Amino acid sequence: MIAGHFGLAAGVKAKEPAVPLWALMLATSWLDVVFVPLFLTGVETIEKAPDATGPYGADIIHANYTHSLFGAIVLSLVFGFVARRFWGDRAGVVLGLVAFSHWVLDLLVHRGDLPILIGNVGHLPTLGFGLWRYPAVSATLELLLVLGGAWLYWRAARATAEAAGGAQRARADLSAALILIFGLGTLAADLSGFLS
Amino acid sequence: MAYLIELFLFIVVVGIVDAGLPWPRPEKRQ
Repeated sequence: MIAGHFGLAAGVKAKEPAVPLWALMLATSWLDVVFVPLFLTGVETIEKAPDATGPYGADIIHANYTHSLFGAIVLSLVFGFVARRFWGDRAGVVLGLVAFSHWVLDLLVHRGDLPILIGNVGHLPTLGFGLWRYPAVSATLELLLVLGGAWLYWRAARATAEAAGGAQRARADLSAALILIFGLGTLAADLSGFLS
Repeated sequence: MAYLIELFLFIVVVGIVDAGLPWPRPEKRQ
C-alpha cells in the first residue's frame, strides 16, 4: 500500500489544517522512508509471495525493524517529537499518529509478515490480515482512501480560500487536483508493478 | 527507488501549491 497512505494524509489535513501537508505526506511514508536504506543494505528484505498472481501486493516483506509493531511505535514517536519542536504539541501528536497510521493500514494488507517486537525478537506470531491476497479488494480500499482524502482536502481547502476572500480558490482546486492525480497515478504505478 | 522519487515529487509539488493557501498557522512553541 502506497497511495492509500497519501489519501489518509490528505484527509487528515482537512481535519488538522494547521499541520503542513508536506509534513503529513512525509509522516505517512516515514516507515517506508526508513525502510529503504535498510533494504538497500540487506538488513530488511522482500520476497515474492508464492500465492501472488500479479505485481500488486505480491511481496512478503521482512521489515523486522521498521515495520514491527514496536519499531513503528518508536519511529512514530521520533517523528512526532521532532515535529513538535517545529510546529508545537498538537502538530507533534497529529504527525506521530499519522506516522503510526502507516503500520495500521499495512496491517490490513500485509500477508502476516509484520513482527510484534523489533528484530522479531522471540519469534512471536507475525501480523497482517492479508488483503493483498485479494488485489481487487485492497486496490479498492486504496482507491477509496485516495478519493476520500482528496475530496475532504478539497472541501477544506475551498472553505479556507473562501474565508480569506476567495482569491486562492483556483489554488485550492489545483492543490486538490494534484493530490488526486498523484494519488491515482501512484495507485496505477503500484498496480502495474512499476513501484516494486 | 521509484517509490522515493514518487514520494519526493508528491511532497515537493503538492507541498508547494498547498503552502500557498491561507491555512491557519501551527501553534507557536513557548
